[in-house]
Amino acid sequence: MNIQKLKDEAKRAIGRKEVTHLIGYQKGSYGFRISPIFIETKEELDRLTFSPLCSLSLVNYLTIEGKPAQVQSEEEKKSKAKKVAIFVRGCDSRALNQIIAEKGLSRESLYIIGIPCKGVIDLKKIEAQFPNVVDPAEVVEENGKYIITINDQTHEVPKEELIADTCKVCQYPTPLTYNKLLGDKLEGNPANYDDIQKLEEKTPEEKWSFWQNQLDRCIRCYACKNSCPLCYCDGCILDKLTPQWVRRSVDTNENLMFHVTRAFHLAGRCVSCGECERVCPVGIPLMKLNRKMEKDVKELFDFEAGKDPEVKPLLNTFNIEDPDDFVL
Amino acid sequence: MDSYILQKEKLNNFLDSLKEYEIWAPVQKDATTLFEVIRDFQNISLDLNHQPIISKSAVFPQTEPLFTFDNDAAIKETSPKEEKDTIVFGIRPCDARSFKLLDPVFEGDFPDPYYLTRRNKTALIGIACNEPFPNCFCTSIDGNPFSKEGLDLLFTSLNDSFYIEVITDKGKTIIDKASSHLTQAKAEDTKEKEQLAKASEGKIKRQINLDGIKEKLAAIFEHAIWDKFSSKCIGCGICTYSCPTCYCFDMQDESSARKGRRVRTWDSCMFAEYTLHASGHNPRPTRTERLRNRIYHKFKFNIDNFGVPSCVGCGRCIALCPVNVDLIEILSTIKEAE
Repeated sequence: MNIQKLKDEAKRAIGRKEVTHLIGYQKGSYGFRISPIFIETKEELDRLTFSPLCSLSLVNYLTIEGKPAQVQSEEEKKSKAKKVAIFVRGCDSRALNQIIAEKGLSRESLYIIGIPCKGVIDLKKIEAQFPNVVDPAEVVEENGKYIITINDQTHEVPKEELIADTCKVCQYPTPLTYNKLLGDKLEGNPANYDDIQKLEEKTPEEKWSFWQNQLDRCIRCYACKNSCPLCYCDGCILDKLTPQWVRRSVDTNENLMFHVTRAFHLAGRCVSCGECERVCPVGIPLMKLNRKMEKDVKELFDFEAGKDPEVKPLLNTFNIEDPDDFVL
Repeated sequence: MDSYILQKEKLNNFLDSLKEYEIWAPVQKDATTLFEVIRDFQNISLDLNHQPIISKSAVFPQTEPLFTFDNDAAIKETSPKEEKDTIVFGIRPCDARSFKLLDPVFEGDFPDPYYLTRRNKTALIGIACNEPFPNCFCTSIDGNPFSKEGLDLLFTSLNDSFYIEVITDKGKTIIDKASSHLTQAKAEDTKEKEQLAKASEGKIKRQINLDGIKEKLAAIFEHAIWDKFSSKCIGCGICTYSCPTCYCFDMQDESSARKGRRVRTWDSCMFAEYTLHASGHNPRPTRTERLRNRIYHKFKFNIDNFGVPSCVGCGRCIALCPVNVDLIEILSTIKEAE
C-alpha cells in the first residue's frame, strides 16, 4: 500500500464540500497497535496510515452510540447532504452493503475509499512472537512475508504465521462498494468451511463440552457485540429489563443464551470480518459460531451477506422454494 | 521475616501440603491466562511472559448470590461464613496492592460481609515480575514489580528454584504447613533476588509523573480532550472488568414463577445502562461522559475519598483495549492540557 497515494486520496475526500470528516487509521500509542482517527482538517492528514496491522474495522464508528445519524430523508439526499468519508477493506465494504440493504445507513451519506486488503495480522500472534515492544513498530508485506521493523532492526516472518485466521479464508479481499479504489483488485480465496465441518462432525455431547469450555470463561464485557459492525440496533435486546431476556449472572446458561442470541441475530448478516473474535479479551472462538451460521445460510438459501446493497436481507424475504425440512 | 528456597520441581508438593485451602492460580486457556480455582496443579501456569487477568474474582466474584426466596418459605440468606480458607497463588504484586484499594470501599459506612469475610479468609501468594509487560507503569503509582504490599508471601523465580519471602503471619502459617519442602535461603539467593528486582524495575519502559493530576482534572472537566479520547471508545467493559481496582456492581432479582434469588454482579461505568434512570434520562448519555468519569473516579474522586488513585499501574486496560484507548496517553495529555 502506497501511503502517499492513500493520503492524497484522503485529502481529495475531505476537500469535498459535502464531506464532514474522514475515518481512517493511524499508528497507535505503542508497539504494534493501531488506532482509529477522525480527520476534519488537512493538517491531520499526515497521521493517516495503512498496514497489515490495521486489523480493526472502522465501520462501527458510523453507527456507534445507537444513533445511525447518517440515515437521510429524501430531501436531504437531494440537497447533497453531508457525507462521512471512510476507509474500508473487503469485509468492511460487505458490512456497509448489508447495513445499507437493511436501511441502517444510506449510500449517499458515505464517501467510501476502498482498500484491496491482502489480510491483516492477528495482534495476539505478533505480540506473542515479539513481546514487550513499546516503541512504534513498522510492518510491510513483501512476497508472502511480513517485514517487521522494531527499533531499526528488521525481522522477516512468513505471512502464514501471523495473518488472522479470518483472513486465511477471506473470499472478498477487494471492496465491493466504493467511490475510489486504492490499488488493483485482488483474487479471493475459495469458500472453505473445513474447520466448521470438523465441528459439525462432533457428537452433541462433544459439541456441548467444547462450547461449555469456551463460553464458561466469557466475562460479558460485550466487546464482541460493541465492536460488531452489524450490531447497530438503537437499544439492544440484551440491555432490556422487562422482560430480561438474558440475566446479568455470569454462568454457563446465561453466557450460552447471550452468545446464541448474538449469533442468531447475525444469521444472514455476518460478513466474517472477525471483529468479535479479535476483540475478545478471553479468546473465545466466536467466528466458529458465526461461520456455522454463514455456512448454513449459504447451503440452505444460497445467500451471502453484504454482496449487494440492492438485495433484500435474507430474513426479510420469503420464497416458496425455501427449504423447510428443518421446521418441526 | 524469613526467606526460603523451594526447588521448582517441588512446587506441586508444596501446594499438596496446602490441600485444606481452596487454591486460585493462573491457568492458560489458549492465548489467555485467567485466575481460576485449581483442581489439578498441572494446570497452573506461572509463565512470567503471560500477564494473567482478573485476580479480583477470588474475593469479589463476578456473580454473587446474596439470598434466595420462594413462595412458601422465608428468605434464606447465603452465608459467606461458610467459605473455605483460600489462597490466591501466583498473583502479581500490582494485583495484591489492588486489594488494599478495594478494602476501604467494602469496609466503608456499610461493611460488606460478603467481600470482607472472603477477604479475611484469603491469603495472597505473589510472584514477582522478573519481566514487566509493555504497559506496566506500577513504578509511576508507588508500586514496583517486586512490591510486597498486600502480599502474605512473595515468590521470586530464580533459575531452578523459587525464593520465598514471608511477609505476614498469614504467610508464616502457610510456610509452616509446607516447611518440609523448603530450605533456608542463603545470602547469595537473596543477592540474586535483589539483582533481579533491580533489573526488572529498569525494564519498565512507560512512565508518567502523576503529581498534581487531581488538581489538573478539577480544572478541565469541560475540555475537548474528552471528546477526542472517547471518539474511538466502543463502550465495552474490558477496561473495567480487567481492572484489579474496579469494584462497581449491580444487584438484581432473578426469579421464576415460584422461586428466585438476588444476585450481585459486576457492572461497568462504560456501559450506557450503568447510569440509565427509570425515567429514561441518562446523566452520562454518551461515551464522552462515561470515559471522563472513569478517569475522574480513578485519578480524582478516589484521591478525594481515600487519598490515593484507584489504579495500580498494571496496564491491563491498555493491553486489552481493542481500539487503543491508552490510559497513559490520556493521563499524559491531561497533564499537558491547557
